[in-house]
This record gives sequence, C-alpha cells and structure tokens, in this order.
Amino acid sequence: MNKTAANTHSHVKEPLIRIVKRDGLKLSKLVLVYVGAILLAMIIGCILLASMGVNPFKFYEKMLTIGVVGNAFPYKCFEGYIKLFTPLLIVSVALSLAFRMKFWNVGGEGQFIVGALVAGWISAIIGESAPSFLVLILMSLGGAIAAGFYGSIASVLKVKFGTNETLMTLMLNYIALYLIMFFGETKADWNILLNEDSARPIFKTFFENAWMPVIKIGSFSLNISLIIAFVITALIFVYLKKTKQGYELSVVGDSISTANYAGMKTGRIIIRTVFISAFLIGLAGAFYVSTAHSLSTSVTNDVGWTGVIVAWLSKLNTLAIVVTSALISILRYGCTQAAAEFASVDSHFADLLQGIILFSVLACDFLTRFKVIINLKRRKSHE
Amino acid sequence: MAAEYAIELKNINKSFGSVAANKNISIGLRRGEILALLGENGSGKTTLMNMLSGIYKPDSGSIFVDGEEVLINSPEDSKRLGIGMVHQHFKLVEKFSAADNIWLGAEKTGLFLKKSRYKKIEEMASRFGFEIDASKLVSNMSVSEKQTLEILKVLYYGANIIILDEPTAVLTVQEIRKLFSVLRKMKEDGHSIIIITHKLDEVMDISDRVAVLRKGEYIDTVNTADTNQQQLTELMVGKKIDLNIERVKTEKKLPLLEIRDLTVNNDENAVAIDHVNFYIRGGEILGVAGIAGCGQKELCEAIAGLRPVQSGMIIHEGENIIGWTPKKIIEKGISMSFIPEDRLGMGLAPSLSIIDNMLLKKYNDSKGIFVDRVQGKADADRVIKELSVVTPSANTPVRLLSGGNVQKVLLGREISSGPNVIVTAYPVRGLDINSSYAIYDILNAEKRKGTGILFVGEDLDVLLALCDKIMVLCHGKVMGIVHAHKTTKEELGLMMTGALDYNDEKAFGIAKDSRINEKTEAGGEPNE
Repeated sequence: MNKTAANTHSHVKEPLIRIVKRDGLKLSKLVLVYVGAILLAMIIGCILLASMGVNPFKFYEKMLTIGVVGNAFPYKCFEGYIKLFTPLLIVSVALSLAFRMKFWNVGGEGQFIVGALVAGWISAIIGESAPSFLVLILMSLGGAIAAGFYGSIASVLKVKFGTNETLMTLMLNYIALYLIMFFGETKADWNILLNEDSARPIFKTFFENAWMPVIKIGSFSLNISLIIAFVITALIFVYLKKTKQGYELSVVGDSISTANYAGMKTGRIIIRTVFISAFLIGLAGAFYVSTAHSLSTSVTNDVGWTGVIVAWLSKLNTLAIVVTSALISILRYGCTQAAAEFASVDSHFADLLQGIILFSVLACDFLTRFKVIINLKRRKSHE
Repeated sequence: MAAEYAIELKNINKSFGSVAANKNISIGLRRGEILALLGENGSGKTTLMNMLSGIYKPDSGSIFVDGEEVLINSPEDSKRLGIGMVHQHFKLVEKFSAADNIWLGAEKTGLFLKKSRYKKIEEMASRFGFEIDASKLVSNMSVSEKQTLEILKVLYYGANIIILDEPTAVLTVQEIRKLFSVLRKMKEDGHSIIIITHKLDEVMDISDRVAVLRKGEYIDTVNTADTNQQQLTELMVGKKIDLNIERVKTEKKLPLLEIRDLTVNNDENAVAIDHVNFYIRGGEILGVAGIAGCGQKELCEAIAGLRPVQSGMIIHEGENIIGWTPKKIIEKGISMSFIPEDRLGMGLAPSLSIIDNMLLKKYNDSKGIFVDRVQGKADADRVIKELSVVTPSANTPVRLLSGGNVQKVLLGREISSGPNVIVTAYPVRGLDINSSYAIYDILNAEKRKGTGILFVGEDLDVLLALCDKIMVLCHGKVMGIVHAHKTTKEELGLMMTGALDYNDEKAFGIAKDSRINEKTEAGGEPNE
C-alpha cells in the first residue's frame, strides 16, 4: 500500500458543500435572519392556503391583527388574546428559571393542571361563602404551592437518586392529565368539582367570588392577572440578575462541580429553584381557571409545551421571553380567529403554521452559528 | 519519486470564525527525518497536523505527498496516502483488546473475527521491535502501553509518514527514552516523522530539524545541530526570555497543613489515596509528582472538603478539618484550585463574567438578598491590573478568554482571598512560557508571605526548579518525599513508576514539630 500511495489518490475530489463555524452575528443582522425565517414560513403557509382556495393575504391580515379588523366587538379579541398570552408568559418565564440551571423541566403541562385542579377545588369549597379576595388568594396560593410540590418530586428524586428529570417531569404530566380526566368524568357525591344539576359529568362553573377581577376600560375588561404576570416577569428579571439566589442558580447551571467547589449547597439550590418554577406554573394554572370560570380537561391549551419553545427561542432571556410569547400568542390566537372566518381552514392550521415557523426559525439559528460554503469550482487532484 | 520531501505543505491557511489558526504556513518533511514542530499553545501546531490527518480542511493552500499535489478530505484519504497520526488524547476503544482496536480500522479483515488476528498483530509488532499482548484490553493498559498501541496501529495501516502530537506529555523519563529509541528505529526503517512538542530538551534530543510556529505563523526551520534551547525559545516566543525559575529562600516555619495516614476513595469507590503522610510548612512549596490519575485529584478534593475521607487526618494549624463543609474550609484560609484537562471544569463558571467569577466564594458575605457586584467589579479590576489579564472588559465571560488569562483569573481570585494554604493542581497546564512564568512568580510571592503551597505538577523540570520538596505518588501511595535540590529527574521517574520506593528505608511525611497534639497537650507553642 505504501509504494502505491501516489497512484491511489488520483480520484479524490473536493466536497461540494462545506460547513464552517462563524462568530456571533450583530444584533441587527440577527433580527434580520429571524424576520427572514418567519417570512419564509409564511410564504410556505401562503402556498398551503392558496391550495385550499383561501386568499392568503386576507388570512394573514386577519391573523396578524388577531381578528380586530372588521369586528363589531374588537375588545373581545384583545380579551381573548390576553387570556392566551398571560399563562404563556408566566409559564415561559418560570421554565426559563429551571432551564438556566440546566434542569430540563418539561413538566409544565402537569404542573399547570395541578395548579388549576387545586384552585378549582378550593373555589368549590369556599367560593360560595368566603369573601372574593380571600377566595382568590387561597385559590392562587393553593394551586401554586400544590404545583410547586408536584414539580419537586422530580427535583428531589434527581438530587437524591440522580434520576433523569426529563423523563420524570414528562411522566408526571400524564399522571396529572389523567387525574383531571378522572375528576371530570367521575360522577360521585364527593366530587364537588362537577355540576350537580347535570346528569352528564361536566365541570361546574365557578362561583362569582372565584372569578378573576377585571378593570373596566370602556367596554374592554382588563384582566388583573395580566398585570400580575408582568409584575412576576419583572421580579424574576431582578431575581436572576441581582439576587444571590439567582447568582447561585446560574453557577449551578454553568458548572455543578464549580458550585460544589465554592461551597454551595447544590441539592438545595436545585430543589428550591424547581419549586419556584413549578410554583409559578401552578399560579398560572390557578389564574387561568379563575379567568375561564371553570375547569376543563384541555385547560392547559398546550401552554407547558409552547412555554418550552418560547423559553428556548428567547435563549432564556427574560425580556426576549416577553416579546416572543407576545408574538407566539398573536400567531396562535390570530390563527384561530382567522380560521373561524374561512370555512375551509381548520383551527388546527394554526398549529401547522406555528410548526413551520418554529422549524424555519430553528433552522436559521443554525445559519447564525455556521456558514455553509458551496464550492462549485471543485478541484480534483491530478489524474 | 525523486521529490525531496515526503510531505510538503504550501501556503496553508485555516480560520475558525474570525480566529486565524494557520496563516500562510509552508513546511516540508524530508524523507527519513524526524522533524520537530515547535510552538506554544495556540500557535496552530495541532490544527496544521489535523489537516494532514483529514480532520480539518485547509481554507486555502496545497499539500504535496511525494511531490504530487493531493487533497485530503477525510481521515480515509489520509490513511490511503500513508499518513498516520498519534493524537495527544488516544483514540482507542477502552473495552476492546489491542488487536481489535487495530482490526477496527483495518481493511480487508473479512466478515468474521478470527483467532489468528492476535498472532498476526503480535508478529507484526515484533517485526517493529515492540512487545505487546494483543489480547489485552485497552482499559487494563498503562498510558505508555496505550501509546505503543496507537503507534502500532498507524504502522499496521501502512503509514510511512507518522505524526505524533505531544507524545511525551504523559510519560515518565524512562518511558520517553524508550519511545525515542523506537522513533529512531522507525527512522532507520525509512519512516518520516513529525513530532509536536513544546519541551525543548526533547526537541534537541530527538529531532533532525525544527520547524517553529508562533501565533499561527510559520517562523523558521532550523537544523537541530546548529541551534540551542535559548535560540529556539526566542524563535518560539519572539523575544528573549530568562528560562530560570527562581526558588525563593524563606525561613523555616511551623507546619501549616499536616496529612496523617489519609485514605481517600475515587468515584468508582476504589482506593485513590492510600495511607498518605505529609506536611507543608508556611513559606514552603511542596511539589507533587506522579503519572496522571494516580490520586492527585482525589487528594486535592479531600483537602478542600469536596470528597469524603475514608480514614486519617487532615490537620490545619492543629485543627482536624475532616468532615468540615467546603465553605468552612475556605473560610479557614485553605484555597484549592484545580485545573482539569478541559481547564474550565472546576473553580470557574465559564459562561459567567470575570466579575461574577470573582464573587464565587464570597457572594454570600454581603448583607441582604442581593449580590454585591460593586465589590466584584473592584476585585476583578484589581486582578486584571495586577496580573495583567488580557480581556475586553471585566464583564467578559471567562470562557472567551485565552487559557493563560483564565488561569490568571482563577489564581488571582484564590490569592485575593488571602489564604494561608494554597493547593494548586496543574496551574500552568497548557499555558505559554510567559504566562507560566507569571504564575510561578505569583506562587513565589505567596511563598514569601509565608503561605504554604501544595503544587501538583506535571513538568518535572518545573517541579525541580520551583519546589522545596517533592512528594512522588504512585497508585495513591507516597513513594517518598525528596529535597528538590538533591534529587534528579531519573530518580523521580523511577519513583513515579513504583520502581523506587523509599517506604522500606525510612519514615517520612511526619514533622518533628508536629502540631497535632498541641491542643490536647500543654496548649503552648512547641519549640522549633
């Protein structure tokens, strides 16, 4: 083989495509790349819409304005939008807390359900008799604390036995989901969550004392939970940037051996942070049922999953999460609004379009880190 | 086949992002010579060689083998051209035998694994003058056996151009000597060899010519016979450098840290440190020598309270600190810095800024719930200034700094906490000459202040020059503690492999003026 080395390499050709690492892009270029990605996805959406016989421009107009244009009750659109946006914002911020610590909490769905369920139960017990502010506070705290403990199952197991938190939180989602289905379908004397007047098992509407208060601005009702969500976001921003606990969780996320080395109690930090994360998600669940005035087996609206996507797209940056969750909510709510207008488009088209957009944004993420070089003038070694 | 060079590189360029790793490099390897490729860390030696082995592709430039231009798109191409590379970090399957590791990449081995492969490979090995047990599992091999296997592997694949990337970094003096005689024999057989190293005495010993790189640029190629270490250093660093390391003289002080009969387990629960005795006085540097992974890490972690101790005592200023939390040990004035192979693993949080890293051990000292970053900024600015850390700002994440600056940040923080015992492992790992000497100066300055220093090192020349005493570990046991000015590299090498053991001759590691019973006895200061 040695002596023929010079002859055996004669047919080697340079490769057509090469991938080369590049430095970070400037912010302006980065924004441009993402806008391009969204446009690309919308063009694909255009083709799909056109093939279904829908005018894509009308559809997009309706979608991007969340159905406000040409609506007799435009404030209703804003209210619906806020109802979707508030839980997504809280859940995304809460998840980013755990993610920063590299604790992959994909149990947002389950924690949200637990928060909603416990809040619903509390409202069923005391909603009729107790004063409204007390009902609301107990519902929120009860739901949040219950969810906090529910989330802690995974973190405690991880700290004590080194279990995988992704699997654990994922499995706990199904337990919570089947639990709420069980309560929703079991007609029994003890089940105070169901409507007594109905023969079929359906969740009952909450007493008025358990309704999330609103601030009336003309005919538009501003849900208080939106304001609280913004306050929580601001608090978490400060928590991460300024406090000792926020500092600790960044160190643990960055290098757990360094955290140990510095004398931090890493187990406690993990359990504490995951508790806060799940606590906030449970709070969002309580807020949501209090806003919707009733429980439902589809109470989460996939917020636990969407929150993961929002947190990732925002690179766990709290301010970016506000913007991203607002945009994703426009996409989701706008799409359902637009789909209602066009008979041939199912509301599931929103999910499809969202999937395409996320896919192209994530693909562009690759382009921000790597350069693809296409070599058309390929050199050959000598024949 | 009349070409002068077995392999020739012309105008090679390679960049990673905005970092140019190789700038317009042209180097030739003559047939049947040993060429040393010399350069500091980050000068682009490994990048250049990885382009020969098909791992990277040059952005521009040409490669000639036997005078013909070739393209190397993959390791396969490289193998076909007769180029074999022995990487610094071995590329072996731990759970496979020696023979199977070679078989893995060999061509025309057939569908089934036959017993005859062991014999085939042993025969081939003895033809080259190696002795190996072809059925031995890699996981049971010593470092030098693994390296032999790597060399055998490339020979078996028919390589006649052999590249060795820092092959001596993990070997003892005796093993290096053996390796060099193997290389000389290979050269006589007509192989052409490139050896990457930054140890000058080895360059002088083994090579015919030396090619020098500096910061990704080609500087010069000189005949080894016509040069000396001082000239090579100047070529490598770009300026004159005093290669002497100072051993500061201090007055003898009381033992600060005494280790008595210490046994510590590793992560696999096997004994890593085995009934070890030693002590460090104030104003003294105790060196620790040993082959990689013979208990250094476990010892450091045990002292810092990061690893449970099986038995024995760790006495700091007369107090047993076993069972104390890492936090309490830090507060007592024991600082531990360990530079692992990835250089960022323990001691620093890579994604956090210099400021945040300065606060790592004292963020909790301020009152209230907020982190005091004003203090952190002051610390960071001081360390940046005093140790001349090169960084865009104090807010820069540590992982973006170069290796030397990362290590300066780490040591700077440790020293700024005013410790009385410094445990430092591999503080100059991967650093260039300038930065290394800056670190030695820092340690010597601490020594003058009366700090007791435990210096775990890998370069015996440095240990010999810098330390007062050297303790040699072999498989977790202390083979002996010797005075640095009385011992030799050969003696240390023998102790590192366990061939020389002073345990039978005399007791060591227990101070005459030990403070261990100071509290239980009269309570007064013992007489020096």
